Amino acid sequence: MSASEEALPVEKEEKSDKTNVTVVPTATVQSKPKIRGRKNTPQLPIIERRNWLIHRHFVRKEYDTCKSLIQEQLKETRGQCEYAIYIQAMIMRNEGDIQNSLELFQACHLLNSKNPDNLKQVAKNLILLGKHKGALECYNHAAELGEKDWDICHCLGVCYQFLKQYDKAEASYQEALSRNRHIVTYSALSKLYLEKDEPEKAMSLLQKAVEFSPENTELLTSLGLLHLRKNNFHRAFELLGQALTFDPENYKAILAAGSLMQKHGDYDVALTKYRVAAQKVPESASLWNNIAMCFFGKKKYVAAISCLKRANYLSPFDWRILYNLGLLHLTMEQYASAFQFTSSALTLKPDHGPLFTLLAVALTNLEQTENAERAYEQAAKLNPTDHHTMINFCVFLHNQNRSKEAGKVLRKFYKNLPTEKNANLDKEMLDVGKKLSAALNVGDKLVAEKEKASKKKRQKDGSKTAPSTSKDTATSRADDDAEGSRGPALKSTDLPPLSSSKPANLPKLPPLSTSSSRGVEGDLPKRDDFTSGQPTMDRPKTKNKPALLAE
Amino acid sequence: MVAIYITLLQVFILSSIYIKMTSEDQDEKEKHSNWLNAHYDPVAGFYTFSTCITFADLNGDGDHKLVIADLGTGLYNMTIKVLKGTSIIQENTLLDLPTGVTSVYMDLAEPRTPGVVVASGSGLFVYKSMRPYYKYNLPLLPVLPEEAVLWDQANNENLDPLTLAEALDGLKKSHPTSSFTARTSHFLQIENDADARQFVDDHKHKPLKRETVITCVTTIKKSMAEDDAISCIVVGTEHKQVYIIDSEAFTPLQDYEIASVPVIVNVSGLFDVDFRMFAACRDGCVYVLKKDSLQSRVCIELDSSIVGMERIHKHLIFALADKTFSCYTTRGKQIWNLQLPADVLCTAVMDHRAKGFKAVLVGLDNSEVRVYREKNLVDIIKLNDRPQALCFGRYGREDSTLVAVLASGALQVMILKRTAEYADHSSHKGPPMSQKMKLNIPKKTQLFVDQTVRERENGTKMFQNFQHDLQLMRLSVAQTYLKGLQSSMTPLSDDPSMPLKLSATVRGIGPVFQMLLTIENTAAISLNDPKLATGLIVLFKYSDTIYSIKPLVLELPALAPEISYKFAVRIHCIASDRPAQDTITALIVKRGTKKPLVTANISMPVSEGVIVV
Repeated sequence: MSASEEALPVEKEEKSDKTNVTVVPTATVQSKPKIRGRKNTPQLPIIERRNWLIHRHFVRKEYDTCKSLIQEQLKETRGQCEYAIYIQAMIMRNEGDIQNSLELFQACHLLNSKNPDNLKQVAKNLILLGKHKGALECYNHAAELGEKDWDICHCLGVCYQFLKQYDKAEASYQEALSRNRHIVTYSALSKLYLEKDEPEKAMSLLQKAVEFSPENTELLTSLGLLHLRKNNFHRAFELLGQALTFDPENYKAILAAGSLMQKHGDYDVALTKYRVAAQKVPESASLWNNIAMCFFGKKKYVAAISCLKRANYLSPFDWRILYNLGLLHLTMEQYASAFQFTSSALTLKPDHGPLFTLLAVALTNLEQTENAERAYEQAAKLNPTDHHTMINFCVFLHNQNRSKEAGKVLRKFYKNLPTEKNANLDKEMLDVGKKLSAALNVGDKLVAEKEKASKKKRQKDGSKTAPSTSKDTATSRADDDAEGSRGPALKSTDLPPLSSSKPANLPKLPPLSTSSSRGVEGDLPKRDDFTSGQPTMDRPKTKNKPALLAE
Repeated sequence: MVAIYITLLQVFILSSIYIKMTSEDQDEKEKHSNWLNAHYDPVAGFYTFSTCITFADLNGDGDHKLVIADLGTGLYNMTIKVLKGTSIIQENTLLDLPTGVTSVYMDLAEPRTPGVVVASGSGLFVYKSMRPYYKYNLPLLPVLPEEAVLWDQANNENLDPLTLAEALDGLKKSHPTSSFTARTSHFLQIENDADARQFVDDHKHKPLKRETVITCVTTIKKSMAEDDAISCIVVGTEHKQVYIIDSEAFTPLQDYEIASVPVIVNVSGLFDVDFRMFAACRDGCVYVLKKDSLQSRVCIELDSSIVGMERIHKHLIFALADKTFSCYTTRGKQIWNLQLPADVLCTAVMDHRAKGFKAVLVGLDNSEVRVYREKNLVDIIKLNDRPQALCFGRYGREDSTLVAVLASGALQVMILKRTAEYADHSSHKGPPMSQKMKLNIPKKTQLFVDQTVRERENGTKMFQNFQHDLQLMRLSVAQTYLKGLQSSMTPLSDDPSMPLKLSATVRGIGPVFQMLLTIENTAAISLNDPKLATGLIVLFKYSDTIYSIKPLVLELPALAPEISYKFAVRIHCIASDRPAQDTITALIVKRGTKKPLVTANISMPVSEGVIVV
């Protein structure tokens, strides 16, 4: 069918063949004598006479027709037609032949050295070839020939950014924006600010950009993610929601908005959003991690585990996924597996307190009390204000019948407990705290104070016998701890988009692998090594960085 | 002769079948289409653009004709064709490529018949009642005074062609190419002297002219806004000008200079009252031209080349080469921006007067024509090929007709059904389809459950066993490693006094092999100490029932650091009766010591058997 479709119109009569668009090149030879009526003095065709036709085909990306037209034109004018060469060079660049395209643009420049456009294109090709210094010179030269317009300023900024001269790059971008506001410049400059680690400036710039172009989903998402990073959840959600109205399939926005919903417990809504993203980017580890944590929230543990395992398969060096896997296995009471996942997460991320807490819980259940204690100590050392660590440690000590130490830890726990409102601490933890304090006979005062502050009713007194209660809670604590620490893990994962906008983070990843190799060699033989050997790496707090793995 | 006749016959039969089949196809589509397929001619053979198609009531009888300026092959056969119904009723030959065609009411005579203006080369060709009526050439551009002087001298034979060429060449350095006359540029292409002389002679008596080329043409109503009111012609040229030309007297009324070459010009307003012209240019900018000032001002800078620009009320809608489709106010603020699924080929405005709305038609590379009302996609028309040109308007007595010329040259005419509903909002609303798709999550298997249960029951034991075995494995790895180090069983020697590296490759398929030993002294280069490795020999350990090796002992020269030395050893597989394979061990030994420095185990490939002839 399709064959006849093409063949027929051509065959039917020869005339139609000639009139066909694609046949332009073949007509060359015959047409020569006909071009002009050559009487005694031929009328001279001007060399630009077919420029408009070349341009029209070029913008429609009909490169074959365009090339034959150009050849025709160059033959007719013996290579004097600047525009034909220019378009030929453009086509070559679009087809990826940058070196040859560069030569043609240079030829254009030789033909007409007054046209700044030729120089701009030469410079653009130099950028594409990675010769930023050469490009800089070219652009400056072009700016001398003509007006220093937006294009030149923006590209100068790009060059400076590549050459790591951030201040000059910033100045160029600003100049470009003052000449004409373009979305490309806005996003380039905001990336530059992030690279320079000035998120405040990036935010205010993006705010302006969003006002300028309120429907640009990319800008909306980047700004939303920056707000998210600043823990400005309300504004972030607003912006991401806006982005999603304009483009309901925007993967980054879906992931970020979904994570916010998860944070508020809207697991079903988040899941429906993730479904869209899963169709679009099925191989995103962060996405599967977030989906898994939705299932976790809905207590569908098996589904959660299989999603996490997929995420882990997609991104095996992401410690957050391993952390979540450890957490889930603890919930499933599969302590041996939990231990495996947590310890591999630790080799990737040896300075994360909650990971040690997880490990300690697993070890406790594996009857490795000594190692568990060391893990707790390490966790407390790394993150002395973490309530989950403290309460679990306290329960652990209490179960060991070391009430004195347990009392100390409990005191610390209450000391660090945030007062009132903003504390969305889960009640179970507080209950356990109360029971413990009753059993240990410590810190009643402290508790009472806290109680007042948080205005929470004390529900029941330690009616049960102390040991049994705490025994119960030890396991439930594990879950609870899971619940609690899922928060951070999640948050870090949904940030991926953030960090992708912050390429500066990338180089930080390598340490992970080195630490992991070291870990394998040195510290696994004995659990106790944890406490002694872990050098704490000085890295920014997890939130934004893990992200990188996503993209 | 007969053969040709038969083929023609076949072609005819085939094509009729083909047309039939497509019409059946169409029937199916039409059920849920807003368009009636009125006419489809797959062999019309047009090569044209949207600007070269227009509808016009040529005879003033209310029967609108379709006027198509055909570019022919792009070189010759340029024609202007008038179609009525399904047939061509008139055809006029054009001398040059047509850039655009437009119909203009030029006078107040009754019945009201418009002229057809074809822009081609540097002139406007006006047809009335489809007869050539008038040819208007755009005003000539000023010739550079230096150039004029030079040619003047040459014509008076004060200057020989060679010096003329040199002088012109020199002039070219200081002026852009486009500021010269065609005569100069052609003259400079001539290479030999005789031709140049001839050229000067030929053109002696002709005035030196600098012409331009029209790049786009449109119209502006002069003083009244009625459909059949008198209009002026607006023309953009290759030399970055825009002219407004009076269609009665054919004199330029106003001309503007802009910064780039206009590609599309769009006009709003009346010439006598007030107007604005938007010139989309090759540099991706849109310049605005006003009645009062001759200055042009950049109004919009776009990120890519402009393929189509349409104006709907006060909004400018652009289709760009980077597949974006966006809308701007006339002040240059972006209102919305969409991504198209394919490259844009052409655009057209769909002015549906009966229903009182305007939409934009966008022809895409994937053979679709999309209809956008504001930013909402309201319809998709599937064509048989890529649309080359689109035009919507009144054809015959049908108010809303869409004419599409396809890349194959086919002509397709479609009529909008009266029942067609183009709602103000997008037809595709609500959450994306993918939201309803289920997530692909593996089911819980029995094995998984069993494993979980087992782990819950025996977790501690599993953990302890695992740790125990892990320790054992580590121990045995460490032991083996130590043993290897002690007995120099490794191909690397970390002996600080003699650091060596040995590697071997085996070439050939047997029974004769060549083993290539690469030996490197890995000591760091230092200036004062050459660190030569001396007195070394290579020995081989192998089963002498299978292999024979020559030479048995390899005496190594002094090895300088950081140079890899290569030595070839010939190995013959003598166990010819069966396919043999064994390991050969190469040892590097220092004279006078018992322990080898480095050992390499080379597992030999299976040898081909000896072929006994």
